[in-house]
Amino acid sequence: MNLFDKFEDKAVVYNQLSDIGKNPFTVVMEEIISPTRAKIKGRETVLAGTHNYLGLTFQEEAIKAAQTALAEQGTGTTGSRFANGTFSGHRHLEEQLADYLGLGHCVVFSTGYQANLGAISALAHPGSDVILIDADCHACIYDGCQLSGAETIRFRHNSPESLDKRMARLDPELKGRLVCIEGMYSMFGDVAPIKEFAEVTHKHGGMLYVDEAHSFGVYGSTGRGCSEADDMMEHIDFYSGTFSKSLASIGGFVASRHKELEYLRFSSRPYMFTASPSPANIASATAALTAIRSKHEIRTKLWENVARLHGSIKQLGFTLAADPAPVISVLFPNREIAFAAWSFLLEQGVYVNLAIPPGTPNATSLLRLSVSAAHNGDDLDKIVAAYNGMAAQFVDAK
Amino acid sequence: MSAIQEDNDLVFHKICSLIEPINQKGLKLTRETDFIADLEAESVAVLDVVMEIEDNYDISIPMNVISEIKTIGELVDAIHEIKKQ
Repeated sequence: MNLFDKFEDKAVVYNQLSDIGKNPFTVVMEEIISPTRAKIKGRETVLAGTHNYLGLTFQEEAIKAAQTALAEQGTGTTGSRFANGTFSGHRHLEEQLADYLGLGHCVVFSTGYQANLGAISALAHPGSDVILIDADCHACIYDGCQLSGAETIRFRHNSPESLDKRMARLDPELKGRLVCIEGMYSMFGDVAPIKEFAEVTHKHGGMLYVDEAHSFGVYGSTGRGCSEADDMMEHIDFYSGTFSKSLASIGGFVASRHKELEYLRFSSRPYMFTASPSPANIASATAALTAIRSKHEIRTKLWENVARLHGSIKQLGFTLAADPAPVISVLFPNREIAFAAWSFLLEQGVYVNLAIPPGTPNATSLLRLSVSAAHNGDDLDKIVAAYNGMAAQFVDAK
Repeated sequence: MSAIQEDNDLVFHKICSLIEPINQKGLKLTRETDFIADLEAESVAVLDVVMEIEDNYDISIPMNVISEIKTIGELVDAIHEIKKQ
């Protein structure tokens, strides 16, 4: 027995897929042509499996802002937010986000993963606190719970009733009660009933933490996410998001109406002990935020594209995981068929995500399509044509 | 239920019936049956079954406790322990 033995089973499958050149987890984008096109294996491919919801990765103002920051502030901060790496750009972006969200306080982290990891692990402590999480929460929320060491209880996905039961059973000694949910869930594209969750959470003396990584900039009348769509911005306790989806950069944040959020700055290890986001990342995220606030037509275009793709794919008879959303997932009977269908689409020049157990809800196998506002008519035609071909080729999958 | 070993413990019997959906190989379940090694269940599938068990007994089993549990017998013991509290 050595350290590597435990990887054997998975390594066999991984290496087999790599050997035949069809490993979904080692796809390399050799040349990035536009927000929706890249060369994969030398061939121009439509990107329908990146989370570029607003298509801002090549936005002119964002690129200019990043170039200026790079030239004026350098390539990296060589420091952490806590000790020696907070520039005025970090603070400015925190203020901009807090202002946009209408929440008084915001803390910027180096990635979205670290935002959830850092906030959850700092907020809940073993012994005194309990964390209740939706069963389908992202890995970074699970990891945040583990790093906190606090007692963690799962409730059924999108079920305020299941949360209610579990909160009613809690030991009254557990004072701090943190409830974690997401806005739009990234695997199925389904949306949480935030209003109902807020009611149950507050009834039992808890605080509600909503991860809007996939819904920030996309949902709500001004793009503030599912919490805005449910008219809950003033009622939720913590709001987390990422720069790596609609903001087309890298980084993450947590915002709150509670001033005590500032305590994270001296108690969150993933905030204190890692390098702060680079000046270029901060500058492009700040520019993208300005675009989200001022250009509502980008969001309108995204939802038009969602309506067209969801409608077309549904018409083909596939089983879709949820109502129209920027994530459109087709469910397959097993991982083998899902993998074959994924390979088929890539051969047709369309890149989507293959998702298979254990990373999926209810151990389902699915193909996840991420819609972008930057998908033009030609991109949409190519995607629909490829799904048409898939419908003919994989009759059993429907 | 024929695959289930005779056991006086009602909890054990109840657990076995709730576990059936992840007993895809139709194994004879005993207190020693290991969720991962014997049933080859995905860890997430085990967590989902635990939610059924929680609602059946109106208890909550924290994830920190579940992660320590390897066998059906250990799960039965954990339920008895939590019910006592």
